Amino acid sequence: MRSLTLAMGAAGLLLWPWAAPRYFVFLASLIVVNAIVAIGLNLLSGYTNQLSFGHAGFLAVGAYTAAIVATRAPGAPVVVALLAAALVTALVGLLLGVPCLRLEGLYLAMATLAFGFVVVEAILNLDGLTRGNDGLRVPAARLGPWALATDGARYYLVLVVGAAMVWAALNLVRTRTGRALLAIRESEVAAQASGIHVARYKTLAFVISALYTGVAGGLFAFVVGFLSPDAFDVFLSVDFIAMIILGGLGSVPGSMAGAAVLTVLNDSLAGFQNYRPLVFGAILIASMLFMPGGIASAARRLRAPLAGHPRVAPGSRPGPE
Amino acid sequence: MTTAALVHVVVSGLATGSIYALMALSLVIVYNATRTLNFAQGEMLMVSTFAGWTVYAHVKLPLVVVMLIAVAAAALLGWLIERVIIRHAIAATHFDLLIITLGLSLVLRAAAGLAWTHDEFPFPSFFGTRPIALGPVRLAPVSLGIVGASLTLMLGLWALFTRTRLGRAMRAVAQNQRAARLVGISVERVYAASWVLASVVGAIAGVLIAPVIFLSSQMGFVTINGFIAAVLGGFGSMPGAVVGGMLLGVIENLAPLYLPSSIKHSVPFLMLIAILLIRPAGVLGRVTRPKV
Repeated sequence: MRSLTLAMGAAGLLLWPWAAPRYFVFLASLIVVNAIVAIGLNLLSGYTNQLSFGHAGFLAVGAYTAAIVATRAPGAPVVVALLAAALVTALVGLLLGVPCLRLEGLYLAMATLAFGFVVVEAILNLDGLTRGNDGLRVPAARLGPWALATDGARYYLVLVVGAAMVWAALNLVRTRTGRALLAIRESEVAAQASGIHVARYKTLAFVISALYTGVAGGLFAFVVGFLSPDAFDVFLSVDFIAMIILGGLGSVPGSMAGAAVLTVLNDSLAGFQNYRPLVFGAILIASMLFMPGGIASAARRLRAPLAGHPRVAPGSRPGPE
Repeated sequence: MTTAALVHVVVSGLATGSIYALMALSLVIVYNATRTLNFAQGEMLMVSTFAGWTVYAHVKLPLVVVMLIAVAAAALLGWLIERVIIRHAIAATHFDLLIITLGLSLVLRAAAGLAWTHDEFPFPSFFGTRPIALGPVRLAPVSLGIVGASLTLMLGLWALFTRTRLGRAMRAVAQNQRAARLVGISVERVYAASWVLASVVGAIAGVLIAPVIFLSSQMGFVTINGFIAAVLGGFGSMPGAVVGGMLLGVIENLAPLYLPSSIKHSVPFLMLIAILLIRPAGVLGRVTRPKV
């Protein structure tokens, strides 16, 4: 039953460009890109409780890296551009993650918020590389002799990379590393007492999270085809937070569901820009008040109504101390 | 640069600084009670200021009355938010509360945009525009007025926190919630009082700064500098909030004289990153150790 559903889902994803109008193919690519970011952010926030307001900054670093590689080395295959995006963003994640080790809670939120602003300022000031406010046109992704110039081709590129990233994340959270991260979320002191090198794993979470977002940034550059710094403002970071809150902290499928719902919602509210933050804000508040654990835990409860209980029982949640 | 011009720059820095200090204070008041950063503080300030302005636009009342209306609106808004949303999340973690206030800030800004549009409106000022000459130094009345009004308010807050039962109860809750409850303090009432007080302080800051930065749905963003000021001084410390605010205001005003203009906008953020790296506890904050 489960494998049948999965197979049907996979077939649907593969056949999508033939069934759907062009715009919806583009939208599907965007969903996958956002899902990769959401998974990356969730590995950091959901698994180690480090909330980041700077993921739009990581996305920008990845996007601009891929775009600059593709522009400066026109023949290079898309894999090279994506790897460059991943490595550069992971390095930035390491550089930000090490000093952030000393910070927690709201200090970390502030530091990552500042990081997001600094990235946008850096893009504006490095206009020799990024063309600043004029924006940067991204050439078509190349794969050997082919140029991925249609929405369908780009969709398959995004889908393949996305599937690999999801598979990697699903495996990661079940390894020693994933369990160490979960232990850190539950209690840093207890994790340390059990022999988990907290500093190393928290930095690792930062690097992996940045790497995911960097890859997503590279894909984003090719899917959208044009980059400008104002696309990467703090509100985009807030959108990513909304995705993992709605989807469910600490859940990979939840991240994907949250990304899908909010990307489609964002798109359908495009004509009602004034109402968009109203809806997103209401979703944030409502998820926290009525659906802690997000879509992921709601789905768990639906599947097993008797055995189902929230990730943490309401009574046992630590109150403000 | 002449000394007189330097004094002028420093005084206007102190003026913006005292606004940052007021915003930092309102953040710290809520933080001390609920241990959460109120992301919606700037938007609460903006909505209260708009409420005062709306009355002023219809009936030309004296500005003191306008400020009182803004304060009343702020008190109501703070009380409502605490009562309707925050209290229902009383079992939530700090992380959850942070997300809730983040959502609130989005909702309030969008609602203000729908009610009052996203345009900028001029706001009447208490103070004249003719510069006051003190020897060779010429000072803007707005700067002096803002500094004076803020200092008065800070004195009032200091009296509230040291001389009244409510203030002492709030400080007790900030120190140890469980112990405060054991000695008979109603923690719920302190929560509500903290939200109302923070909202009121924010509204006064809003009415003071609105003539300078204009009234708009986006004006809440100045609170980011209030956050930074609070961190500079040591988050949770009220004297720290005042010192941090003044420090940030003066440095921000002095920096463009010595630094290339391209990084002018990043100055508060660079200061934030620097203080977090060098001394995360802030200038006056105490280093705390996690308890198991």
